Amino acid sequence: MEPYIAVLALLGFLAAVVTAVYALSWVYAPPGTPGTGPFLSGARPREHALSRYHVRWYVVTMVFLAFDMEMIFMYPWAVVVASVGTKAVVEMFAFLALLVVGVVYAWREGAFRWA
Amino acid sequence: MGGPVGDPTPVWAVVALPLVLAALTYSAAAMDSAFHSGGGFVAPLREGVRLVVQQRRRTLAPDALLARIGVISLPAAALLAATVIPLDGGSVWEPPVSVVWFNAMEVVAWGSLWLAGWGVNSAFPLIGGYRFVAQGLAYELPHMFALITAGLGAGSLDLTEVAAAQDGLWFAVWMPVAFAVYLLSAVAMTFWGPMSHPVADDAAGGVAAELSGPDRLLFFAGRLALLTVAAAAAVPLFLGGGAGPWLPGWAWSLIKTYAVLALLVWVRGGFPVLRMDRFMTAAWMVLIPATLLQALVVGIVVVN
Amino acid sequence: MGLRARLLRFAHARPRAFVITAPGSTRTRLFVEAELRRRGGRPVASPAAAAMLVVCGRPGADLMAAVHTVWEDMPGPRSLVRLDETASADDVAAGLDLAARELADVDAQWADARARRDRGPWSPAGEDDHMFGSAHHHSASSEPDHNDHGDHGGGHEHHMGAPMGLPMAGRAPDRDGLKLDVLHIPLGPALSDWPAGLVLDLTLQGDVIQAAEALTTGGSATGPPFWEEPWLRAAAGEPVTTGEAERRRAACHLDSVGRLLAVAGWDNAADQARVLRDRLISGEPGRDLAPRITGFTRRAGRSRVLRWMLRDVGVIDPELAERHQLTGPPARRLADASARLSGWLDEVGAAMERLDDPAPLRETEGPRGPVGGRPGAAVLALLPGLLDGAELAAARLTVASLDPGLDQIAVLSGTTDGRPGG
Repeated sequence: MEPYIAVLALLGFLAAVVTAVYALSWVYAPPGTPGTGPFLSGARPREHALSRYHVRWYVVTMVFLAFDMEMIFMYPWAVVVASVGTKAVVEMFAFLALLVVGVVYAWREGAFRWA
Repeated sequence: MGGPVGDPTPVWAVVALPLVLAALTYSAAAMDSAFHSGGGFVAPLREGVRLVVQQRRRTLAPDALLARIGVISLPAAALLAATVIPLDGGSVWEPPVSVVWFNAMEVVAWGSLWLAGWGVNSAFPLIGGYRFVAQGLAYELPHMFALITAGLGAGSLDLTEVAAAQDGLWFAVWMPVAFAVYLLSAVAMTFWGPMSHPVADDAAGGVAAELSGPDRLLFFAGRLALLTVAAAAAVPLFLGGGAGPWLPGWAWSLIKTYAVLALLVWVRGGFPVLRMDRFMTAAWMVLIPATLLQALVVGIVVVN
Repeated sequence: MGLRARLLRFAHARPRAFVITAPGSTRTRLFVEAELRRRGGRPVASPAAAAMLVVCGRPGADLMAAVHTVWEDMPGPRSLVRLDETASADDVAAGLDLAARELADVDAQWADARARRDRGPWSPAGEDDHMFGSAHHHSASSEPDHNDHGDHGGGHEHHMGAPMGLPMAGRAPDRDGLKLDVLHIPLGPALSDWPAGLVLDLTLQGDVIQAAEALTTGGSATGPPFWEEPWLRAAAGEPVTTGEAERRRAACHLDSVGRLLAVAGWDNAADQARVLRDRLISGEPGRDLAPRITGFTRRAGRSRVLRWMLRDVGVIDPELAERHQLTGPPARRLADASARLSGWLDEVGAAMERLDDPAPLRETEGPRGPVGGRPGAAVLALLPGLLDGAELAAARLTVASLDPGLDQIAVLSGTTDGRPGG
């Protein structure tokens, strides 16, 4: 079996299981899907919950993105370290050291604190 | 050994994978009820039946499609991540970068939780969804450094080759920091136990607050399946894969997976929930430097 | 139909209950928690997760509206159990038995489901009478968005209008001078691990509290507040031993500790606290219980992760305590939630030493402050200031670490005010 067919077959199997769960529920659960309010400790909502959320950790998100981009280099790097040798280790960790200095700076600026 | 992507997949693997995954996931649920609520082997079945015979709910003006995608993508991510885990002499799919594939599938949970939390148009699930995004920002980098450290030690990003590279000395032994961080991130990516703030009861169940019936069943089954896959991936990454005396490889893989899974399930009883406003600093200032030092040590060993 | 009934019976052998407690019904809540545990079930945190709604005590009008809302939002099969504040353990068991039978009654459940389908979904337009929750809404005062979002509240509501009869979130300035969406979220009265009768009306940006208002919803209960009962009886002239009162004090603190641990997400330790609490109340001899309770207090007190999570949460300084005349355990440990937890644990230990003290009870310092005073009122007064700018999770921990007993405040009729020492 071709690998991609195998993966597709597994996804098809999952789809069948999910469908079966909903079908069983449709047969054996009481009929209908009650339309409810959101749970608010027994109150009804005053506005829709969907809103622009106050994300106070957006600075962390920026620092994360910088690091996450770096990970893209690090995966292929891990494979070639043994063949390239010391140079690869020195270069990568010099780069990481720079990033860590940035992280320490961000930490001192309070980027990882909120509220 | 991992070949090109085109290696044919044995049919038995396609049949065995979902069965093994389902059996292990059920065991995880049974262990959880045995360890923590005094229920027996039948407790997860009871809960499963209860959810199947329960009505679904529909909150006011939901984005039903997003919520549904969020719920179903969780078991789908677990299954897709499982396709690269070596069973016995091969996995369903052997990409040469199966470590990266596993990593990518596990990140799907970020989307799952946020979509499920956003889609139901309710405040507590919304807060839960954002809690998980913050949690992701804390655990993901240490997690990736732990994965890369294992890949670095083996000089490969193929789980089968990583397992084979541990001939005689498990990575867990000489990369203890990476292994410990991996276990922590396994708990975090499945929002389990001490990392379950996104679904915590202080926000009425967080992301899961509005889920009932089959939605709830698939969501929580998907979470346990992901926990199972994370435990199973620890075996080729850090515990020597199927290597072991007397028994065949698949038996050792299974035994080791069970051991890791039992540890992860058991850990839930020992700790309160970690809040990210506290944990974030620790993750960046302690875990990332620790994993980087671990990677440096491994890198120095590799080039010598 | 036979299979459906069998499946339902099998599924509901372990009850999943959402428990709402009216003020003054602590004893009933304790019976319910013990009975749920005996059946291998547990209280759950949202109506979606529940099959049973258990109402302890007799709610007043506001709380009744909340009960009604929760009931409407529960998926079927569902069952309602109402137990008043005088219910015995047997009454509770009988109530849960009845609920289990109701849950497996296919005809009744299917009829209920069809009736709900015919009524149609809940919509804000359909119930103007309590669209804004309960009657406490009018007292909300510090809501900058409420009046001004018509003028310069921003584009959201202008473009979107009020889809499905409900407005989109308005906007208000935040602490950094930005204008951000705000949500109005009440905590309580129908919330798990929450003081009976307390309502916190929160104005949230994200999960940060911009403004909080503390209110109470009432209930009607007869009889003295459960935790203060021995002291009230002593004040009325009945013979009460110090040992009996100390037993009640230890149980009360274990109840608070269990609640705090549950809010902190440590279910395992919370369950342990509640088991010990119930064994204390059932009158088990102190010499059997003491080692277990010592073991528990050591476990809870030594957890570094717990201390890390509770440190600097809800810090009360002497000035604030003085201003609101704070009394009781929080006043004895003026600091953060972590200090209040160790205060409770220490007081449990001290109470256990005196469990067999036969001396008649003379002191008037009850588990939550001077009996006859209203220690809960001080906590209510200082809560809004304490929660300003806090995160939702921290707010819940703060409330749990203060665990105000509102029984004296929120009981509408048949209050203890007229009683000796009340």
